[in-house]
Amino acid sequence: MNAILAQSHETTDPLKLLHRPGVRLVSIFGSLDEDGSRRVHYAVDIDNRQYRVVSIAGEGPIASATPITPAAAWYERELHDQYGVAIEGHPDLRPLLFHENWAEGVHPMTAGFEKVPAGTRTPYRFLKVEGEGVCEVPVGPVHAGIIEPGHFRFSIVGDTVLNLELRHFYTHKGTEKLFENMPIADGCLIAESVSGDNCFAHAVAYSQAMENSFGVAVPARGRALRLIGLELERMMAHIADVGALCGDVGFTVPAAYTARIKESLLLASTRFFRTRFWRGVAVPGGVTIDLAAVDAAELQRIVAEAARDFAELAKIILETPSVQNRFESTGVLSRDVARDLAVVGPVTRASGIKIDVRRDHPYGRYREFATEIAHHSQGDVLARARIRIDETAISARLIADTLREMPTGAIRTSISADASAEGFSAVESPRGELFYWVRVRNGRIARCHIKSPSFQNWPALPLAMPGNIIADFPLINKSFNLSYSGCDR
Amino acid sequence: MIFDTVKQSLSSRRVLIPVEQLLMDAQGSRMPDVQPSLLTAEIARRAADACPTTALTLEEADGRTQLVLNYADCVACGRCIEAGAGAFVAAQKLACCGATKSGLVRRWDVASGAEIVSSEREMENSAREIRSLLGRALNIREVDAGSCNGCEAEIVAITNPYYDLERFGIHFVASPKHADMLLVTGPVTRNMAEAVRQTYAATPSPKLVVAVGACGCSGGIFAGSHATAGPLDAIIPVDGYIPGCPPTPAMLLSGILHVLQRRS
Repeated sequence: MNAILAQSHETTDPLKLLHRPGVRLVSIFGSLDEDGSRRVHYAVDIDNRQYRVVSIAGEGPIASATPITPAAAWYERELHDQYGVAIEGHPDLRPLLFHENWAEGVHPMTAGFEKVPAGTRTPYRFLKVEGEGVCEVPVGPVHAGIIEPGHFRFSIVGDTVLNLELRHFYTHKGTEKLFENMPIADGCLIAESVSGDNCFAHAVAYSQAMENSFGVAVPARGRALRLIGLELERMMAHIADVGALCGDVGFTVPAAYTARIKESLLLASTRFFRTRFWRGVAVPGGVTIDLAAVDAAELQRIVAEAARDFAELAKIILETPSVQNRFESTGVLSRDVARDLAVVGPVTRASGIKIDVRRDHPYGRYREFATEIAHHSQGDVLARARIRIDETAISARLIADTLREMPTGAIRTSISADASAEGFSAVESPRGELFYWVRVRNGRIARCHIKSPSFQNWPALPLAMPGNIIADFPLINKSFNLSYSGCDR
Repeated sequence: MIFDTVKQSLSSRRVLIPVEQLLMDAQGSRMPDVQPSLLTAEIARRAADACPTTALTLEEADGRTQLVLNYADCVACGRCIEAGAGAFVAAQKLACCGATKSGLVRRWDVASGAEIVSSEREMENSAREIRSLLGRALNIREVDAGSCNGCEAEIVAITNPYYDLERFGIHFVASPKHADMLLVTGPVTRNMAEAVRQTYAATPSPKLVVAVGACGCSGGIFAGSHATAGPLDAIIPVDGYIPGCPPTPAMLLSGILHVLQRRS
């Protein structure tokens, strides 16, 4: 069961744990003990059944986990940037979060940090690909579409991509630092602004982490309303993603049609919950807005209509030869790479790895049934499109089932705000496993770590590129649809 | 296959929202408005205390207490509405989208509940120049300066068949070199500050800059973070502000049109 397990501060060697078969890395992050000394935490998923967090002291040098699991590479770079923890045996400790206009030696999460001093650091060293006819193509941070900023460095021969290197964290906002010393209730405001299009999943994950820490149970009706919000958010994300994929292959009519279906769900949210993206709805202890009985039937009808329209449209999309031609065998992410990089969410499920927090570590209403999981094995753009199409239908069914059997009673319970506790929680967001770890001291947040699915999945994108033509990059990138802000925080 | 698609789209009902219905509409934004008749000193104090940012404050002027609501700082959390005993409500209409920074501030005399209306704003030169050059056509380059992508989701939505931005002759373009207006979201992170400056420099004059969302207007929930360098108007000149967290498509549309049509 999700996050009910006691956390362990025992001195289990995290690297030995990561060596064991069936252990998937969830996150590596730092925290400060009360005396200001650093501690490093390793969150893992054992056999897709049990989360476990082990921690070690972080004052002396620690051994890198990256040689054991490459999925650890970015986590350790972030740890190195934020906490200045010395990591031995890491193959690449270039700065991840901080660009050239940050002074050297800044570690904002350490005790005594006040502000970033003036200064610069040495320019970032990109990987160099050399050979006859090799060209470099830099793209970003400002892109051509209405999307978030990031930098892509392609090395190509002709049209064919040999290597892609990412340089992100343009949207790094010091979010985890902002949580420090906030009252529990205010943490939701920040959680909702980590990745705006998945804001409800973030608010629920944050709230559940607090509820698990303090042993608070959300009333049944509150749990049901959260499921409706989470699945609506998933439907909107997946429908928009499929539309964007069509847009990227010049198939604009379905692209416009999906935008229309998504808007019908946003308007329904406004009508029944007074918010388009469900901001302010999830709070520690439950939800703030109830659904009137008369509105439940109408919401049911709107969701069913959206699901039906989308299913008809999806059939047309998948049967269109020019779409098949562009989607099929493009941007293949192999099962092995997905496993090695501990990829999560629809992307990993399209590469044949069947994991989903809703089924593996059920939370809230998902404890009451076994969630059906979509999966495909080809790992190409087509498989990632199909996953989203299948999951949209499943989400609509989950909403319908929930609305049919809505529990009555309270939607929210109170949570004691002045105690100390720590705990974690995971939610299957539209992009995959979203994991929050929180520590509260005397009613104030001492630490909030966010493992976002995008941080986990970004390093896998460059491995789906080699051999593809550079013109297919927007399509492949869109099929991953990762959040920059969620990753950069 | 393409015929099926065309057939399906032709047979579907029309969803375009008329412009009169969109202008100044703020439903679903969770931005607050004040019901002057219910405002008391006690309620104003409670609402200001509940506000997690500096959007709601009390000011003393000439021996009287004023309630100051600065939409630039508002993250639409709804707490003033919860604490305000009916005196604070979710705004149905919002006139200030696209206003100057001072135009985002509203004041009420707490004792009488009366709103204190400030002087009118003046039309910016660049807006007049762009209108005379282009009539109604406008090219916008969207720049994300570190937003959470909530604003992007809504900016994409204004191109959908409900809002259809293109009916006003307004397009999104792929390069700042093609743009008349920069629509900038996010608190301007330290890592994006230089890119924002360079994007502004690459945009030909006359040009307009519109700051979008609580982050664009004031830094929002991220104001003061060690990793931000903004707000936007500390980095480049800004002509108009569209508040909200995120602003709804109707607010974005109203704001863009307001910046273009602002008159003295």
